[in-house]
Amino acid sequence: MEHMGIEPGRLQFSWISSAESTKFVEVVTQVTNSIKALGPNSNYTKKLAEVA
Amino acid sequence: MKTIKIEKSQWAPGLEKASKAFRLIGPVKEKEFHSFKPLTNGAQPDLTCLNTRLSPKSLVYPQSEVMFNYSLDEGREDHHRMTEAAKDYSPQAVIGIRPCDAKAFVLVRMNFDTPEYQDPYWLRAYESTTWIGLGCTSPCSSCFCTSAGCGPYHEEGLDVLLADAGDHYLARILTDKGARFLDAAGWKTAAAKDADQTLAAMRRTAEGKITSFVQTDNLKSLPNNDLYSATFWEDVSFACINCGTCTYSCPTCWCFDIQDETRGTSGVRMKNWDSCMYPLFTLHGSGHNPRGTKLHRVRQRFMHKLKYFVDKYDRGIQCVGCGRCVRLCPVNIDIRRVCNMMNGFAASGEACAIE
Amino acid sequence: MLSYTEKIREIAGRLLQSGRVDMVIGFRQGTIPMMNEPHFAKTPAEAAKLVWDSHCGINLANYLTDRKEKIGIVAKGCDSRNIVTHIIENKIKREQLVVIGVPCRGMVDKRKIAMKCPGEITEVIENETGLTAKGDGFSQSFDKKDVLQHNCSLCIHRNPVIHDEMAAPPVEEQKEVDRYADVRAVEAMSPEQRWKYFADLLAPCVRCYACRNACPLCYCPTCFVDESRPQWVGKGQDPSDVRTFHFLRAYHCAGRCTDCGACERACPVGINMRVFTKKLEKDCLDLFGWEAGLSLEVRPPLDVYRPSDPNDFIK
Repeated sequence: MEHMGIEPGRLQFSWISSAESTKFVEVVTQVTNSIKALGPNSNYTKKLAEVA
Repeated sequence: MKTIKIEKSQWAPGLEKASKAFRLIGPVKEKEFHSFKPLTNGAQPDLTCLNTRLSPKSLVYPQSEVMFNYSLDEGREDHHRMTEAAKDYSPQAVIGIRPCDAKAFVLVRMNFDTPEYQDPYWLRAYESTTWIGLGCTSPCSSCFCTSAGCGPYHEEGLDVLLADAGDHYLARILTDKGARFLDAAGWKTAAAKDADQTLAAMRRTAEGKITSFVQTDNLKSLPNNDLYSATFWEDVSFACINCGTCTYSCPTCWCFDIQDETRGTSGVRMKNWDSCMYPLFTLHGSGHNPRGTKLHRVRQRFMHKLKYFVDKYDRGIQCVGCGRCVRLCPVNIDIRRVCNMMNGFAASGEACAIE
Repeated sequence: MLSYTEKIREIAGRLLQSGRVDMVIGFRQGTIPMMNEPHFAKTPAEAAKLVWDSHCGINLANYLTDRKEKIGIVAKGCDSRNIVTHIIENKIKREQLVVIGVPCRGMVDKRKIAMKCPGEITEVIENETGLTAKGDGFSQSFDKKDVLQHNCSLCIHRNPVIHDEMAAPPVEEQKEVDRYADVRAVEAMSPEQRWKYFADLLAPCVRCYACRNACPLCYCPTCFVDESRPQWVGKGQDPSDVRTFHFLRAYHCAGRCTDCGACERACPVGINMRVFTKKLEKDCLDLFGWEAGLSLEVRPPLDVYRPSDPNDFIK
């Protein structure tokens, strides 16, 4: 995805077991903050079809 | 029918003047090939272009086109109503279209403009366009227009036919629309008295350069079911990969699909080109697919273009011999070869040997 | 490679005559310069029409999927690797096939030749080291190595990896080939530059799916772009949809693509969509040491879990 031009950090992966609730909270908070810092995704969005 | 003369030195200034009244479109080269593009900021149409890679049908019939907008958002005044998408049908002029592509529009119009039903998108776009055609002085080896119902200087579907006569163009005015365009460009010089003879000679020379032909004289009289159950279809269709290249590059193919796309509470209803080559083309809601195999679909395409259309409209084949499908098919399935096989088909079930 | 034609015809005729196969899939002479048409021969007489030259870039493994007959198939290096992948993925059985292996020195890119000629090409004549393209008022000769398909110029598996017959002795493999220079060029760009690079690349796309259909790997009964319940991707020309089709198709080919170039060859508007698949091919090599289609015995990495699978991208 990054090869195609999505900014590094927009797509993140994590292994979290359903028993690891603390980790879940941490990861979600961290990812939300880092995405907000990147700003809205203006490139790869589709609202309504941009066609003729 | 009047013929005027346009000095090449007057060409660009004339287009500049015409651009005040018409949006101009012409062949433009990008990377490897030409496409019809809007000519903005004094851009010139490239008339050395033999023909554009894809047909100009997208000028009147875009590949994806929004028909309606709608929204369920009650804050909007037009909520819960389908409103027609805004379009620009102000006059436009297409400069440098080849006679085969212009004739193709005439054939396609037979489908989109019938007594029972008119396609308003296609028709409004077509009728707001003035077609300034350019006769072909060097037909390609894959052009077979003269046996497909038109030719390098064919006039059907054109408003003006230009012929390149060296330091000037001869312009044959074919319709009032064409006359209005030439007026807007300020091109008024009458051509020499023998201009029509010159044009006729150019036409004959160009037609003499066509080296590729199809035989179509038997198509109408051949029984439908015999052609349908011929054994050569397996051989014809083997290589086909069922992509949409032939249908999308063809100026006479017209099939489309209508679909809604939504986001949240808003949506559009859009038309997209569709291809009879795709497996989903005839997939029924029940799950049954009458053309479920490649052979069915390939056979259908050639039967439609070379037999059903011939029978239904009595205007010849649904093909203008532009040669795009021949040049672009990734596996070299050649409509000329198939047409000759169909035309030469004898009810005994053996196709004529074609090499 | 022109001498292969005789041998291919001989082998095909023999296989059909003896009934060892029901059909032989190869090429017959095309109707326009630089093209040949995939063709099946069912009789020795038809086998006598098979040809082989440097315009046989189409991947014939594409025609094997789910067939039930006994099939002889003419296969160059990349095609043979796709045959292996087909067998591993249960789309054809090894016992059904007689692979007529063709050691390949590369296929010619007709777009490159067309761009170097001043007008329409009406005839192309090939010899052992190059070709001559002729048209109205011109005749230009090319060394084959200057007009190879891009993937062929980078090829390191020219000899078939499986075969039952061979049309010629093996050729030497290319060494010292930098297969990923293009990928690294994109990796050196900033995200904005990359975005624009791919946007420009895909601008001419008309969603004809010639690339997908020419690819032997793309055999899903219903491709993800054709699904409508639910609909994953729009079917129109919106740029996000066009981009999604291409990169998602590349993902589906990840670890399976042999870089045969059939996709680029098929494209009617000349898009070099291999830039998507090359990146994934490089990643498979770097991360798993994997090249597609080299062995019938080993399961592909995306099929199999190994504890050593790299997972440092998972935080």
